[in-house]
Amino acid sequence: MKKNLLTILLLFSCISFVFAQNRVITGKVTDQKDGSPLPGVSVTVKGTNTGTQTDVAGSYSITVPATAKVLVFRYVGFKPAELPIGGKTLSTQLEQDSKQLTEVVVVGYGSQKRQSITGSITSVSAREIQNTPVTTLEQAMQGKAAGVNIQANNGKLGQGIKISVRGTASLTAGTNPLVVVDGVVINSGDLSSTSAATDPLADINFNDVESVDILKDASAAAIYGARAGNGVLLITTKKGKNGDAKVNLNAQWGNSNPARHREFLNTAQWLKIEERAGVGAAKQDYAAGLYDTMADALADYKSYVEGKFTAYSAGSTDWTKTNTNWEKEAFQSAPQAQYDLNISGGNDKTKYYISGQYLDQTGMLKGNNFKRMSGRINLDSKVFTNFDVGMNLTFNHSLNKRVDNDDSFGTPLQIVALSPVTPVIDPRTGLLSGSLPGSASSYPVYFNPLLNVDNAYYHTNVYRTLGNIYANWQIIKHLTFRSEFGVDQTNQNEDSYSGRLVFRNTSQPNGTGENTNTTIVHYTVNNYFTYKNAFGNDHTLDATLGTSYEYNHYMGNDIQGQQFPSDSYKQIIDAAVKSGGYSSQTEYSFVSYFARANYAYKSKYLLSVSGRTDASSRFGANNRYGFFPAGSVGWVLSEEDFLKNSNLVSNLKVKASYGLIGNAEISNYAALGLFYGDAGYNGVPGQRFYQLANPNLKWEKTAQLDIGFEVGFFNNRLTAGFDYYKKNTRDLLLDVNVPQSLGIATQTQNLGKLYNQGFDGSISSDNFVGKFKWSTSFNIAYNKNLVTYLNGQVITKNNINYTREGQPIGEFYMPEYAGVDPANGDALYYLNTKGTDGKLDRTKTNDYNKAQSINAGNPTPPWNGGITNTFSYKGFDLSFTFQGAFGYKVFNSGGQYMSANASNGFDNQTVDQMSYWDKPGDITNVPEPRLFYANGTSTSTRYLSGASYVRLKTASLGYNIPKDVLAKIKLDRARVFVNAYNLFLITKYKGWDPEVNSDYQASNYNLSVDFYSAPQPRTITFGVNIGL
Amino acid sequence: MKKIRSYIKFITVFTTVAALSACNKELNLKPHDQIESDQAINTSADVQSILIGAYNRAGGSDVYGGGFFLEPDLMGSQSAITWQGTFQDLTNMVDQQITINNAFVNSMWYNAYRIINQANYVIANVSKVDAASRDNTEGQAEFLRGMTYFDLARMYGKAWNDGTPTTNLAVPLVLKPTTVIGSDSYPSRSTVAQVYQQAITDLTSAESKMGTSVSFYANSYSASAILARLYLQQGDYAKALVEANKVISGGKYSLVDNYADEFPFPNQSATHVDNTSEDIFAMQVTTQQGTNTFNTYYASADYGGRGDIIVKSSFLNNFTSGDDRLSVYNEDSDGTLRCDKFDNLYGNAHVIRLAEIYLIRAECNSRLGSSSGATPVSDINKIRNRAGLSSLATVTLTQILNERKLELAFEGGFFLHDGKRLQQTIGGEAWNSNKLVFPIPQIEINANKNLVQNPGYTN
Repeated sequence: MKKNLLTILLLFSCISFVFAQNRVITGKVTDQKDGSPLPGVSVTVKGTNTGTQTDVAGSYSITVPATAKVLVFRYVGFKPAELPIGGKTLSTQLEQDSKQLTEVVVVGYGSQKRQSITGSITSVSAREIQNTPVTTLEQAMQGKAAGVNIQANNGKLGQGIKISVRGTASLTAGTNPLVVVDGVVINSGDLSSTSAATDPLADINFNDVESVDILKDASAAAIYGARAGNGVLLITTKKGKNGDAKVNLNAQWGNSNPARHREFLNTAQWLKIEERAGVGAAKQDYAAGLYDTMADALADYKSYVEGKFTAYSAGSTDWTKTNTNWEKEAFQSAPQAQYDLNISGGNDKTKYYISGQYLDQTGMLKGNNFKRMSGRINLDSKVFTNFDVGMNLTFNHSLNKRVDNDDSFGTPLQIVALSPVTPVIDPRTGLLSGSLPGSASSYPVYFNPLLNVDNAYYHTNVYRTLGNIYANWQIIKHLTFRSEFGVDQTNQNEDSYSGRLVFRNTSQPNGTGENTNTTIVHYTVNNYFTYKNAFGNDHTLDATLGTSYEYNHYMGNDIQGQQFPSDSYKQIIDAAVKSGGYSSQTEYSFVSYFARANYAYKSKYLLSVSGRTDASSRFGANNRYGFFPAGSVGWVLSEEDFLKNSNLVSNLKVKASYGLIGNAEISNYAALGLFYGDAGYNGVPGQRFYQLANPNLKWEKTAQLDIGFEVGFFNNRLTAGFDYYKKNTRDLLLDVNVPQSLGIATQTQNLGKLYNQGFDGSISSDNFVGKFKWSTSFNIAYNKNLVTYLNGQVITKNNINYTREGQPIGEFYMPEYAGVDPANGDALYYLNTKGTDGKLDRTKTNDYNKAQSINAGNPTPPWNGGITNTFSYKGFDLSFTFQGAFGYKVFNSGGQYMSANASNGFDNQTVDQMSYWDKPGDITNVPEPRLFYANGTSTSTRYLSGASYVRLKTASLGYNIPKDVLAKIKLDRARVFVNAYNLFLITKYKGWDPEVNSDYQASNYNLSVDFYSAPQPRTITFGVNIGL
Repeated sequence: MKKIRSYIKFITVFTTVAALSACNKELNLKPHDQIESDQAINTSADVQSILIGAYNRAGGSDVYGGGFFLEPDLMGSQSAITWQGTFQDLTNMVDQQITINNAFVNSMWYNAYRIINQANYVIANVSKVDAASRDNTEGQAEFLRGMTYFDLARMYGKAWNDGTPTTNLAVPLVLKPTTVIGSDSYPSRSTVAQVYQQAITDLTSAESKMGTSVSFYANSYSASAILARLYLQQGDYAKALVEANKVISGGKYSLVDNYADEFPFPNQSATHVDNTSEDIFAMQVTTQQGTNTFNTYYASADYGGRGDIIVKSSFLNNFTSGDDRLSVYNEDSDGTLRCDKFDNLYGNAHVIRLAEIYLIRAECNSRLGSSSGATPVSDINKIRNRAGLSSLATVTLTQILNERKLELAFEGGFFLHDGKRLQQTIGGEAWNSNKLVFPIPQIEINANKNLVQNPGYTN
């Protein structure tokens, strides 16, 4: 097999050139630590292009000209060595360099040495993310990159996740960073047909990722111009290295459970509070004159409430017979398995990396499952000495078995509303409560989400091909030309069917189905020149100039059907009524020109300028082009004479940058005046006014200042970096609320200003080196977000988060809850109206409409951080990462039902509701229960709470089987490990999880709202990693 | 070296030219799903399809799909229903504690103005319509606009009979289509009298311009019927009588034989059914378009609803035994008493039907002491006989109003609108309580500084 493979690969390497031979040097390169051979070490003759690489045994052989004096040995992760050529052999040992100052960082349209970078770039390496037992790349990165805030919406698999780089720079335009894989912009927009987003990066096997470089400041990002306002994620996949084929096999198996539970009333408590709610409502009805006597009212309510008790107890009058903990019923112990196999290798001419993955994760929520099958081939081949070609290609298939959105009665966690008196299995039928035949239309109190597990499905199949082909041509010395063509093709099919037993959730007695196809093709063509040269010993110049063209085409179609002969039929061809459907297309394009020059004087004084001109189809012809320049300077003090020989300071660089970046993430035709033909009536075609033209629509612009330093001590055993930044965004692409009396609600305009200001910093340290190793890396970021100008606009969709001038995005704004009137049990609110003296009136009122809303808290954590500790001793390694977010609040939007002192229906209540007001004089925060009287359940600070948290995000413990044992079984490497995810959580938040933003309403400014949102899973896996 | 130079030249020229020439073509991408405004309103057919779009908007769930009539009933039918729904914004209506951020209040406002803007587009471009159908097209647009303003005035302004309609504020009057946002895009609220007058002007014009043939579109009788309802709301019984007589004497409509047949649900299977002989105007609901909001809240899950509204058994005590109309009140499979008028998920959403016109005529004749068209008792007996009840010899105003309540229960928002007109206590609140008037949506006040909030609501 191996031989065949190599034969195929050799076909790619065509011609080799033979040079005049002078003399041959041979030798072996080994690791200073354990003497093991190092394959793939680059060996070059200093000052020339002549070079080779070591083979699998660490040996090399190089033909050098007679003039050659010195050989340079370089290997990623090791300090380079320069050795004078003496005899015919030259062997050496390389020392590991944990700080990798020589590390090459991927930047836009090229790469650069870390040391010479003046922009702000955070990198996450393969080592930090591989084999994390999660579904998506972002989850694996959480807590590991300073200034990159990653927040999951909830604990469903493959669902939307918010990733923001240095705050949120836009309001109603997109705020996701641009995602570039191997130089090609990929489609990172949500493709879910429901209002709950799915994660488009879920199709990427992150075990193929070599590094993620996050461009944070204008200097680093401006090369991506108009697309870079929200930061850029450059994902680089793994490449083959010189040497014999390496086979790497990973397998892990594990289990997920909810990270936290929430406690609800038991049967005795529930009966008590509902009975009391009937009394409360009777009192109100009597007072309103709806009954002649109080006794009539009480009797009527008692009979109504007790009738419900019997109904919800499956018809039994013995209400206390059952005590179901429905919350636990939503979850299951969820197994998962993951298998990864990759083969890589290469020679002077051709290098390859081939991988495959199979992932099968069962969700801890019943009915939820995610599978991914992924294959990749990355290939480079030197066709001529000055011309190489290559490709990176991945095929993926993912299948997400989704569950209902958070706002559906069918979402697993809305199960908590069901009554504890209701048995899981209805004894009358022996079937799940709520099943047919039987009185399922109003039993149990709501639709039972467990019915969805076997009677409904929503399968999202995604087939995604992501790849590029490229050619590099070294035209003359120092000047290369690169041309690349990339495609991201996504074919998504969403197939759903809801059968007869879930009619209460769908309103369809005879089944309903929907099938949606989405195709997105995204092309990128990049052509650019790179010029790298050193002039004398003092000057180096690195310049890039090029063009880019992107084209994106969405094509979708959908069909809906109702009335199926039986639930065995699930495809819409079998539906008697085709009740709806559409086909739809949109396109956009970008044409761009970019340039960059990096200049260094004596490696001490660094200067970089870059610029990009973008034009997009999305903007009106009047303002189609935008120019985005940036510049930065750096001073490497440690190269100065006064520090060069310091034993303490091994590296010190200060840097500053300033530039302009943009945002164009709006709908494709936002500048046009439009009519929509979707307004037929009773089979007659009709059209409707849809959108008002704005031919002056232009780019949203962010000017960013960054000042920072990087420092290393003790030969870089201790390093730190710190950046202060300020991002001023203006001409916001804002969906401006216009008077709805115009017949439209919003228009996209360039209106508004906001800023993000803060710092991100990181420290890493090798606390112990030697046999017992301990290293720590820590990152922290603070971001203050403030909207400074909106022309008086108030942006809100959920009436919980408000975005207004002088406040952060999505500030919680609502009346302030003032507890309970001890005299009568009414919920109270502070008036908080401003008096003539400017002071707030702190009088309490029971009239919600009289209470002035207040700024009640920030939904975005200003502080984010992570700390990773890694230990190793002999064959053992242990690593764990804590991640935290601080200084924000979460609003429990489900509180109006679940913590509603039984005043908003028969929903089961959280246990804290038992301290309700019962009689005059009671002092409590929980108002009198009044059935359907909504006493205290309106949006207020009652349901708002602090949400800061710290959690043990990931932990892994591994053991490397000793080499002598491996030698006997002919293995190169073998490691057994245990990985854990979300082992524990520390927070004062009382809900399931403080890391939350309910999926159906999550947006840039609807933030940190909890609505029956599932907690993060706690996952533990065991695995092996074997190398051949 | 020369060769290399020429390569460089080639690449440079090639990429630059390729990119530049691509520009304009590749950047001018036109929408596929929509069309640009300048292509939308050029022909007679274009304008008529905008009118169809106006009907489409009118069928929205918070307007004539049912919200316009269901929501006032929620505010006023405490004696007849028990609410057990979970939409807190609707619970607040039942509790007469509406908040300024109520999503349903906002949606009604927005969707009403979407109908009005569509109608304004038709009216402004009616000259493009073929002469033969021009009047009918304009009349239908005026009908939809006038009716919508009437319902907006009833929901967002004080009752006609509450204080001075010429100073009480209703809603902004927008009579031109939206083509740009300019200084006149921020209208103030017009008075109750001005908005009623606009509705009368539109409906009267519509009445004269529309034809008399019966279809699912509005016709001249639809306008007369809504005018009769409007004048009755104003207490202008003489005018209401005239309009009612126009509808009845036209002879195009007849009461269905059985009361339940007015709410067709063939084979208990959800399906679109054409208007009955009694329907004067109803919003068409099909599997593909339209919503029957009544179904959503009154029907149990067995029939596609949420089952949020339970009918109080005490309400049925208002009927006498043998009244056929009791046949639409039944216990569901769980023994919960429900109103079955709206069990057909794809049943049309009623706007106005002939029985109401007989009741208006009877009430007006009774109040005016006249017998225009027919005596009050003969109109009432028509209604009673259809319900399987015996004829009365004489009838009082109280009896007429009671008959109206029984016949039209849960259909037209009459628990609130009649309660205000007749100055009754409504669910514990006085008929003219501020709590029985919708607030102006806060989001609208934020976007239009010229609007003032209704009394009783704080920002």
